[in-house]
Amino acid sequence: MLPALALASFGCVVLLLEFLLGKARAAAARQWILGLSLTGLAVTAWTLWAQQQALDGRRLTAFSGAISVDGFALFFNWIFLVASLVTILISYRYLEIEGEEHAEYYGLILLAQCGMYFLATGTDLVTIFVGLELMALSFYILVGFLRGERRSNEAALKYFLLGVFSSALMAYGFSLLFGVAGSTRLKDIGTAIQAGDLHDPILLMGLAVTTVALLFKISAVPFHMWAPDAYEGAPTPVTAFLSVGSKAASFALLLRFFLEPLGALRDAWQPLLVAVAVLSMTAGNLAAITQTNLKRLIAYSSISHAGYMLLGLVAGNETGLQGIAVYVLVYTFTNLGALLVVAALRSKGAGRGTEEDLNDISGLAQRNPAYAALMVVFLLSLAGLPPTAGFIGKYYIFLSLIQTGHTVLAVIATLYVAVAIFYYFRIVKRMYMGEAAERASLISSSLGVRVALGITTAATIVIGLYPEPFLRFAEISLLR
Amino acid sequence: MPALPAAVPLSWYLTLSAFLFVLGVAGFLFRRNIITVFMSIELMLNAVNLTFITFSYKLQQVDGHIFSFFVMVVAAAEAAVGLAIILTVFKNRQTLEIDELDSLKN
Amino acid sequence: MNGHLLSILLFLPLAGLIPLLLIPSDQKRSLKLCANAVMLAGFLLSLLLVFQFDAAAAGYQFTENAPWIPSIGASYNVGIDGISLLLVMLTTLIGFLATMSSWSAVEDRLKEYYALFLILQTGMLGVFISLDLFLFYVFWEVVLIPMYFIIGIWGGPRRLYAAIKFFVYTLAGSVLMLLGILTLYFQHAQEYNVYTFDLARLLNTHMAMGAEQFVFWTLFLGFAIKVPMFPFHTWLPDAHVEAPTAGSVVLAGVMLKMGAYGFVRFSLPLAPHAASEPWVVNTIATLSIVAILYGALVCLMQKDWKRLVAYSSVSHMGFVTLGIFALNYNGIAGGMLQQINHGISTGMLFLIVGVVYERRHSREISAYGGLAHVMPNLAVVFAIAMWSSAALPLLNGFIGEFTILAGAFAANKLWAVLASLGVILAAAYLLWLYQRTMLGEVTHEINRKLRDLSLREWAIFLPLIAWAVWIGVYPKPHFDVLDKPVRAIVERVTGGAR
Repeated sequence: MLPALALASFGCVVLLLEFLLGKARAAAARQWILGLSLTGLAVTAWTLWAQQQALDGRRLTAFSGAISVDGFALFFNWIFLVASLVTILISYRYLEIEGEEHAEYYGLILLAQCGMYFLATGTDLVTIFVGLELMALSFYILVGFLRGERRSNEAALKYFLLGVFSSALMAYGFSLLFGVAGSTRLKDIGTAIQAGDLHDPILLMGLAVTTVALLFKISAVPFHMWAPDAYEGAPTPVTAFLSVGSKAASFALLLRFFLEPLGALRDAWQPLLVAVAVLSMTAGNLAAITQTNLKRLIAYSSISHAGYMLLGLVAGNETGLQGIAVYVLVYTFTNLGALLVVAALRSKGAGRGTEEDLNDISGLAQRNPAYAALMVVFLLSLAGLPPTAGFIGKYYIFLSLIQTGHTVLAVIATLYVAVAIFYYFRIVKRMYMGEAAERASLISSSLGVRVALGITTAATIVIGLYPEPFLRFAEISLLR
Repeated sequence: MPALPAAVPLSWYLTLSAFLFVLGVAGFLFRRNIITVFMSIELMLNAVNLTFITFSYKLQQVDGHIFSFFVMVVAAAEAAVGLAIILTVFKNRQTLEIDELDSLKN
Repeated sequence: MNGHLLSILLFLPLAGLIPLLLIPSDQKRSLKLCANAVMLAGFLLSLLLVFQFDAAAAGYQFTENAPWIPSIGASYNVGIDGISLLLVMLTTLIGFLATMSSWSAVEDRLKEYYALFLILQTGMLGVFISLDLFLFYVFWEVVLIPMYFIIGIWGGPRRLYAAIKFFVYTLAGSVLMLLGILTLYFQHAQEYNVYTFDLARLLNTHMAMGAEQFVFWTLFLGFAIKVPMFPFHTWLPDAHVEAPTAGSVVLAGVMLKMGAYGFVRFSLPLAPHAASEPWVVNTIATLSIVAILYGALVCLMQKDWKRLVAYSSVSHMGFVTLGIFALNYNGIAGGMLQQINHGISTGMLFLIVGVVYERRHSREISAYGGLAHVMPNLAVVFAIAMWSSAALPLLNGFIGEFTILAGAFAANKLWAVLASLGVILAAAYLLWLYQRTMLGEVTHEINRKLRDLSLREWAIFLPLIAWAVWIGVYPKPHFDVLDKPVRAIVERVTGGAR
């Protein structure tokens, strides 16, 4: 509980700072505001660490079973922490360029992370719903944070409408499940499902609606249409946070839901997940081929990544679940890294909403060889080629499919790696073999960007070359 | 807690709330005005509340009531954030038609 | 140091990256010197392997084994036998010569160019010395990435298309191969309850026929695309033609061998039953013969010099796969030797195209003619390369193809007859090419000004010529080192092993 407390209190304080200090003084103190947010993260990290030590492989529950702090929850919380840390580090310069430096931005990031905490730990419908909404509401504002920018507004509106719609679906599903189980605890719902009649229309309806809402949140096909718009229109650091933090949190929720209360219904949902996973990989990969906006391309690719992660759940064995954990971990660092390079392209003086197009990255290898090389590493990792981290994630997913006899799925999933290389390397092609863009600007990175880049690159390469400690870390996160 | 009046069976409440919910979904999918769409979502949330209350009565349990309070709080927060977003969109483009929001390419 | 000779050899090119990256990009001469020095050091170091290698000993030598990712059973496990020894030598030599051949051919973005070649070198060496399938797969994929850039940045006019086609095509094969490896890994764990990628232990796996066939065919796809076998060869003409000279040389000289090496090292021993089924053998032999004949016929129609050499690779690699799937001693030993021969002769042919292209900037055969008058030295080198490639006695190609034909004859007489047609066709297209480019009167005045071979270019060709003659005149040492491993493979496939 302490991490959430730290996040909530620091989040609220930072959120109110600009209001309390007044615009002028807040602007003068903006480095302090950044520092305060980072302190909030440090305190969170410390409390997480303390919990990890206290846990020692056990599972602690609190608030009469409304939240459960276990290896699984802590694993995801570390991922959230990395996501918000990197986001905050790259935001400072980005907001400066956009002229939208407001303390609220950092406060909202911390509050969104607080929401994620409850998504990963929540074992009660109320906790989950409130956590989800805390995260989602913060994100709606963050996506639309560039108030004067039409695309940012539009993205926020579309994301908001579809997000609220899916939340309403989820709430409706929850209400029906509550009706069947007579309790809001996931454990009781699981018992009721096991004992109950599977042809009960209320139960079926509740499960169906909840599942649809969950698929919405992880942006799996056919409930993915919000993602490309939201990713493209949002400020790039928010895109990074959204694509990683929100996705990981939604996956944590989905996993807990499918493994704990719905574990008994495996035979019923497995074919459904197979379909969704294959559709996600197909639609995500194929749509990404034609994209010219980098953020939109990454959005479609992240839809296909959701498909890969779902495959781990389809396999459902220990390898598969560990695979999802590893995959999420790897995807976090890698996707953050790739979007961070896109964010770094943004420079003063260029028009809004530019510098995130394929044309803008053209010839980057000549201007900023280091950034181009790192981008190649991230893209290789996203595609899943050794010796980068992405391969380790894919390795587990493929192995779990082989182990459980899903050979055809495994073949489909592997062949999409080749498709993915095709569109990821459109970016590489432009960077290395394209002419430099006309208003080519050199990246002038800030300390924060460099630190963030260091973290993501190191993780991408180290996990690729020596994954052992990370695999052990992912192992303890399994829900048993 | 008082028992439900015997004359109105439980399933009626559930049917009503399901009907309201579907009405909300239909409004969300088919209406083109942002405000109407947003109102449809509010309708869905109200249907959720009705379901919770119904079950709460039936099961003689307070959990459902609690949940519906949270739903109301969330709905209020959503309205605050949502209307603010809608307002900025309107300021920037002077339109509330969903189909006219097309600056993000597809 | 001797205990870690292979590791030093493997990581030397990567270590060479450090000084290379520290040299400022405008000091072109230092960059070239640095890259050449690293490659030369690698070659000299690999000579130590030759001197210390014991051909009489069975099993792997210079082995090193260290845990890498214990939780999935992957280890850093390297070692070589006779087959790998020859390929390692080929890699270090061709790698060095290719680097040297770029001295005046490439002047653009040198630092990136040489860095990619160094990474490529480590990747290729890793493929040939890995005795752990996970490690092998990592190196196998690592090789693709630098080659993509080499083709894409320094290639010909259609380089972008050729580069991505090469990458996606071969990647599709290798990810399927990964599935085969994982299936084997899982089957082994089912049987022994131990997850390991160690080749020696995986050899003990007993799979049901269905699983073994899956393993065989997925591995087959990965390797066949790399070789490339007909009908998976379509990436090859594009990649070879568009790549810069050094890229083509490495691609044809070393990278194609990875596929055939994979057959011998992994496909046959790991899935011996699936590999020795008559219909499988017949199918693959038929594909090989089609490749031999089709490649040769296409060569006869080529107007583009480099494309001709590229298609000749399809034909010659057909001999290699035919020999391997003859599944007898002569076939496999001949196939393994023919790989080296192909590396030498096709390497030379690509280098010759490179020499001419550097001076004249055209690959059209019709742009040349009578070059023997202008460049007599080149004409001599080209003649040797041609004879070597066309399997003239006393040169390497003869020994290799003859042994393969002997093996094929023992397996199926018809194969041998059809394949010998390929030898004749090869002589035809090569002689015709030679006639059109070298003999007769000088057809274009502009060609009269072409410089003959420089000293550096002679230095590139001489080691290859020497090796070609050595194999042609006295092949015994080569067959000696191949003897033990080939015998073991034949025994395993023909049923002795289980």
